[in-house]
Amino acid sequence: MKESKRVLTKKDITKLGLLSSFLQASFNYERMQAGGFTVAQLPFLKKIYKNDKKGLSEAMTDDLEFINTHPNFVGFLMGLLLFLEENHEDRAIIKGLKVALFGPLAGIGDAIFWFTILPIVAGICSSFAMQGNALGPILFFSVYLTIFLLRIVWTHLGYNLGTKAIDLIKTNSQIISKAASILGITVIGGLIASYVHINVVSKIAINAKHAVSLQTDFFDKIFPNILPLGYTLLIFYLLKKKNVSPVILILTTFILAILLSFIGVL
Amino acid sequence: MHSITLVQGLLLAILAVIVGIDFWLEALFLFRPIIVGTLTGLILGDLQTGLIAGGLTELAFAGLTPAGGTQPPNPILAGIMTTVIAYTTGTDPKTAIGLALPFSFLMQYIILFYYSSFSFFMPKADKYAEEANTSGLIRLNILTTAIVAISYGVVVFLSVYVAQDLMKILVKSMPVWLGHGFEIAGGILPAVGFGMLLKVMMKGQYVPYFIIGFFIASFIPFSNLLPVAVIGAALAIYEYFNSKNKLVKNEMMAMNGDDYNEGI
Repeated sequence: MKESKRVLTKKDITKLGLLSSFLQASFNYERMQAGGFTVAQLPFLKKIYKNDKKGLSEAMTDDLEFINTHPNFVGFLMGLLLFLEENHEDRAIIKGLKVALFGPLAGIGDAIFWFTILPIVAGICSSFAMQGNALGPILFFSVYLTIFLLRIVWTHLGYNLGTKAIDLIKTNSQIISKAASILGITVIGGLIASYVHINVVSKIAINAKHAVSLQTDFFDKIFPNILPLGYTLLIFYLLKKKNVSPVILILTTFILAILLSFIGVL
Repeated sequence: MHSITLVQGLLLAILAVIVGIDFWLEALFLFRPIIVGTLTGLILGDLQTGLIAGGLTELAFAGLTPAGGTQPPNPILAGIMTTVIAYTTGTDPKTAIGLALPFSFLMQYIILFYYSSFSFFMPKADKYAEEANTSGLIRLNILTTAIVAISYGVVVFLSVYVAQDLMKILVKSMPVWLGHGFEIAGGILPAVGFGMLLKVMMKGQYVPYFIIGFFIASFIPFSNLLPVAVIGAALAIYEYFNSKNKLVKNEMMAMNGDDYNEGI
């Protein structure tokens, strides 16, 4: 083990957590988040390498390689990598750790932030907002401000864990993603029942006095919300098995809705 | 029927610049329709419309996420335009979502264009790295972000201020079935979002949880999804400890090589 030469302070790591928000500043399809990833670490790389221009240039070149991870968790990765830079570990280790970690972090981040927290928070806050209650957006903002500030915590965690971090991620990432997915999937089931509305207005005339309403006498008797469920699963099937683009599905849904409205079915 | 004043148009453009940067960086989530709609409502002096339009649009866009580097229809333009159209034309926010959609697609394609074209900045970035030119690299990142921010401002100003008469004429000349069709589309559209979520998340082993969530929400009438979320959390915690136990057992088995053969 090389001797630890600490040049970064606790304050630096807090600052790094905030600067990690520039991750996507120059997002592009070729390198994805590489530009912002490098820029966020620059003040600290400069502090570590001081007058060593070659060292700084090498670190910058490595950081500019392709990376696509999660903006909320990237601080964890930056903290860990800067700990290694600070100790002047082998460049191959730093590069290897980055490549090994950014994918799993993106996966966990997407599962937690986009597929679990967003549907739940959006579902609850929207139900307030749609009643004209300002509590909806206020609650939404509070939740996301907290999530934003937690970036500082993840960054300290990454820095402090040093080389131990890789074991932690590797042993727990699958379990954490799985638990988050279960919560997300349960909520999506609930979201479909609550927020997709398909109401058939057609009636089948049996005689002059009686008519059977397709919605209340047929679909609702089989199962409430069976049409929203069926349509969502159809979309799921088309996306997954037929690789239909979401934009085409949105347009088709639109045209279908207008067409069915025109002929009086919906 | 209301009009957008020049000041309101400029304020909305400034709002778009700020939340546009927020969306570009995915920082504070101010770019979500629930926030954008509310702030648009405040600027227009009609908070109620902003809240309702924002809430409705948020739901329709809950599944359309930029996870994994894909760019969804733009939530900012959806939030602003749904509110603006509902306010200026007096249409139901549900109908306005549909009318706002073309603006949302327009911005989505502009961002997609930037995603591709910003690749051309990377050779320059490599050169800065080679020279250890830190300020050059910072400038480059500020430039790309500024291009995006200005685009948001310009597109929103043109959409809300310059094109508003066009929108009113469009809405006025709309037959009833078409308006109703838009409203229905607003009700079905979340299905596409949820389908997208399922595409990335659904695996055979998760089907039971999906069914549980759907059943609870179908049969327990409640104003929000908190009960479903609580039950989902309970299931997730159960699964977490279950998997963790299995992992510990596997590790113990791996350590005692002799026991391994006796297992199962």
